[in-house]
Amino acid sequence: MNFLKKVLLTIITISVVTSLSLTLTGCPPTPPVVEETTPEETPTEEITTEEVIEKVTVTYWHTMSEAEAEALDEVITMFEEEHPNIKIEPTRMAYDDFKPALLTGIAGEMVPDTARLDIIWVPEFSEIGALVALDEEMDNFPEIIADTYPGPTSTNFWKGNYYGLPQDTNTQVLVWNRERFEEVGLSRPPETMDEFVEYATMLSNPDEEIYAYTKGGTYFWAPAPIFYSMGGQITDPEITTATGYINGEKSVEAFQLLVDMYKDGSLAPYFIGGGGVGAFDGLVTGQFSMIIEGPWTVDILKADHPEFEVNFALIPKGPDGTTSSVVGGQNVVVFTGSEHKEEAMEWARFLLTEEAQLTMAERGVIPTLSTLEGNERLPEYFDVFMKQLKTAQARLPHPKWTEMDNVINNAYQYMLRDEKTVQQALDDVAEEINTLIKEG
Amino acid sequence: MEKRPLSRGVNSPSRHPSKVNLKALIDIIKGTLIDIVKRIIRSKGSYLFLLPGMSLFFTFILFPMIYSLRMSFYKWNIVNPAVSKFMGIGNYIRALNDPIFIRAAINTIVYTLITVPGQIFFALIVAILLDQKIKGRTFFRVAYYLPVITSWVIVTLLFEYLFNSQAGFVNFVLKDILHIVGEKIMWLADPILVMVPLNLLGIWKGVGWSAVILLAALQSIPADLYEAAAIDGANFWRKFTRITLPLLRPTLVFLVVVLVIGGLNVYISGLLMTNGGNPLDLSHFILTLMYEKTFANMDFGYGSAISYILTIFVLIVSVIQIKLLQRKVEY
Repeated sequence: MNFLKKVLLTIITISVVTSLSLTLTGCPPTPPVVEETTPEETPTEEITTEEVIEKVTVTYWHTMSEAEAEALDEVITMFEEEHPNIKIEPTRMAYDDFKPALLTGIAGEMVPDTARLDIIWVPEFSEIGALVALDEEMDNFPEIIADTYPGPTSTNFWKGNYYGLPQDTNTQVLVWNRERFEEVGLSRPPETMDEFVEYATMLSNPDEEIYAYTKGGTYFWAPAPIFYSMGGQITDPEITTATGYINGEKSVEAFQLLVDMYKDGSLAPYFIGGGGVGAFDGLVTGQFSMIIEGPWTVDILKADHPEFEVNFALIPKGPDGTTSSVVGGQNVVVFTGSEHKEEAMEWARFLLTEEAQLTMAERGVIPTLSTLEGNERLPEYFDVFMKQLKTAQARLPHPKWTEMDNVINNAYQYMLRDEKTVQQALDDVAEEINTLIKEG
Repeated sequence: MEKRPLSRGVNSPSRHPSKVNLKALIDIIKGTLIDIVKRIIRSKGSYLFLLPGMSLFFTFILFPMIYSLRMSFYKWNIVNPAVSKFMGIGNYIRALNDPIFIRAAINTIVYTLITVPGQIFFALIVAILLDQKIKGRTFFRVAYYLPVITSWVIVTLLFEYLFNSQAGFVNFVLKDILHIVGEKIMWLADPILVMVPLNLLGIWKGVGWSAVILLAALQSIPADLYEAAAIDGANFWRKFTRITLPLLRPTLVFLVVVLVIGGLNVYISGLLMTNGGNPLDLSHFILTLMYEKTFANMDFGYGSAISYILTIFVLIVSVIQIKLLQRKVEY
């Protein structure tokens, strides 16, 4: 009797505490976000005859810029007009906080229904089972991807399935300061890597802190355009080994070129982490003559330096005569924890329609539909990016990519600091990446 | 169980056993609830007052602590915890064999060894100065306390600008004004040099807080002790070492314990200034490494193990400190 009472007392206390704490934390077990617009106290017979509109809210997290978010609002309005039963609730986040926020959401079972993920994160999130395999769930998946560029689409593929749709894409090209070029008697940007190195010496004067080229850091995205253009590779296409690829002849040559430029003063020394003048500001003032950047350059420079003439060019061609760069971009994904997968997939599908893609494109977002090539609504400066995208390469679609990126970053630092030769550093990278491939 | 007299209110047993059970159960619940209410009334509501605090404590502190302890023994799967792989103390062993973790631990301990004495030393000077009858005393008290209430993020960015290699104020002073160095120093690009702004920031930001605590302690020292010493002909230094310091001892012990815990938990400044361990993963602190492993590499088990190693270390250090430093003050 007493025992039973004690047990009950405990149970009641625990349930009071739990319910109180749940109320206080404001996170009750997620109720389905369904707004019913059924008239009150409608007799049951009438419901069957009258059409009941159930409005489902689909949450969508992204990391868009302000201009992009404005365009997104237009896309949402178009979507909601077409789908009166679905309401899209977008949430904008900072890029650096995005992954922790998603992971916390997954752990707390508060995931958004959909999100726009950086292409390099898709394998990671697929691997932990957080994403819906869209090719299995969407009826017309092959039709949807039929018109997309294969490069961006491939970044959704992991272990036999597609876990997302390519929402937008980008790549990096050369941005050059015409005035600086003309000052030293040059009239056009470099077309080959030999010219790149040659021009760089002409454009640099380290004593006055004037450098031909700079980059925001040493993470792989930074040297990637030159690395790929020089013919570098990280692993074999099947991602089974890095030996002979990241430490292969072409990869070594690519990094050697950058290290040599750094040593002879063509590359601003501060990019290894000292903190210097920002790349865009330096480009405008002529402190740097060339930077390698993405399509957002136009927006950034227009905002801060409207008078500056932005000039783009393809990444200089490597020894084998082809230009290349690195593919960036975002994929739209649906989370396994979503309670409205059907509606979420409908939204994902809509983001890949021509109208949605063009609306975003007008604000500087490169579309993934090849059918839009040459469309007059696309900004003119997209041409060079579209051309570059044809040969640009994706970083490794692998769940351990973040760690691999860090390994390459550190190796690049060792080379620049003269603590390891390029070959030594890349041999070590090969070994470490091989280990990560095995773990993955 | 049903056969026993269950609770008050059960008068006549019904012929249907299931109904008896239900009724009895309701009565038990009723009785228990009345009991709880009675207890609460008897305790004059003290339980009720505990409830909000305790529920917050359970939800936000105890539960996550126990949950992450469990995670630290697994290769944790965040989406489906049920399929997590049990590793035993594998994550702990991995940390102790990981050169990056060892480096992070050394960085954290060195940071603590520099910033704790640094803060106390400067705080003591500031507190003694502010204890004098000087003009504008309130202004100086506010001025020294300002860094404490400023956000870590803002002051870290400020220090980053000061120590910027190309355009930073520190390099400008060292190279262009004082001509002490010939080349601009790459403060933030060197794993050892980056510790200079980090430690300076740690000291600068903490001095005001320690000074306020010490000032309060200074003002509680009876003035007649100093007067008696003055009559005996003691100079300032003698008064300081024989009266001030011994009487400040309990406050200093408190400061050392609290600041050491704070020092070992250094996080925001490191995360921002080194972007999490840059360059070469050599400038990590324990918590920045924990964050990177957990949220960048999605290695939740390993991240939890790292934070538990820190917790155990902090616990041991604190206990030793209190045992060693705490002696009774008699005067």
